[in-house]
Amino acid sequence: MGGDGLRMHEYSMTTMIVDAVLEEARRHDAEKVLEVELVIGEFTFLNPEQVEFWYKVLSERDSILKGSKVRIELRRGYIRCPKCGYEGKLMYRDDTAYHLMVPTLLCPECKGIAEIITGRECTIKRIRLLGRGHESSAKG
Amino acid sequence: MNPRMKRVVKAEEGEVYDIELDAEILEANRRIAEENRSLLRRYNVTAIDVMGSTGTGKTTLIAGMIRLLKGRYRIAVMKGDLTTTIDAEAISRYDVDVVPINTGKECHLDANLVRKALRTLKLEDLDLIFIENVGNLICPAEFPLGSEKRVVVVSVTEGPYMIVKHPFIFMDADVIVINKIDLAEAMGVEVDKLRMDAETINPRAKVVQTNCRSGEGVGEVVKALGLM
Repeated sequence: MGGDGLRMHEYSMTTMIVDAVLEEARRHDAEKVLEVELVIGEFTFLNPEQVEFWYKVLSERDSILKGSKVRIELRRGYIRCPKCGYEGKLMYRDDTAYHLMVPTLLCPECKGIAEIITGRECTIKRIRLLGRGHESSAKG
Repeated sequence: MNPRMKRVVKAEEGEVYDIELDAEILEANRRIAEENRSLLRRYNVTAIDVMGSTGTGKTTLIAGMIRLLKGRYRIAVMKGDLTTTIDAEAISRYDVDVVPINTGKECHLDANLVRKALRTLKLEDLDLIFIENVGNLICPAEFPLGSEKRVVVVSVTEGPYMIVKHPFIFMDADVIVINKIDLAEAMGVEVDKLRMDAETINPRAKVVQTNCRSGEGVGEVVKALGLM
């Protein structure tokens, strides 16, 4: 997304994800992390492909994470109009000058000004761990 | 051995189990941003976040606002940059406190860096803080800092599509500044179209056209922020 700016956003976000997953895995004294399920909202600035790429790179660096898979669920964002109570999708206007769809916070029902209520999440929904055996935990 | 005491149940070797984590990655930043906000309110200090791509005129806009507001408010500036203190030094010439924040490899300020920067300032001696974010239209939108108002600066030299290409950061803005309007003709960019894009995407924001180098329109920005 975006031609300007620095392309490190997904890197830093994925670093935060990896840190949180590792912390949880250690808390459960897991041998391995097998899978991580993420939820990414429509209005975040995260490109899922880049998150996957960075997850692969970063997970290779840690023996608990090595080989684990990441699954990303994209969650649609919703807006709410405080004036008429409309709740639903963000509207896009067809811009004839640019031939593209431009999102607008105008309420499609009453032309009031809506607010974003969901779609900004980046959540670790679930992680799948491989338990450590008796022997290794006794040693540890 | 107590016969009522059963064997300890442990995960078997190779046993797979799922953990419902529901951990929101951005939550920690939002929490610190809220702490910053309440700290600033306690000291009655207004913080204004200034965002925009590299080279749009964020620093020049802040310098212009300082010139207009210096007699009225006690001002400090936080200046985010990957490296160097070039801009911070430029601002310090206006005889206000400047905290340079070098993010190193990060492409945005976060609430924790701002919290650290707030500790270096005497909040009881301040009324107003401008927080200039790293030049970037993508990441800063994801990391609220705890400011009262957000300004996003765009300039005609970036071409006609900047606003429609980055709609979500403009949705967060209270004031959208279209800068370098004196160069619009040379750039072949229609300022009215940029204004329309801004108003479509965020009908709540006030849109102001400026030439920050000459100072044109800066007073309007200050008014749109409710500072004058």
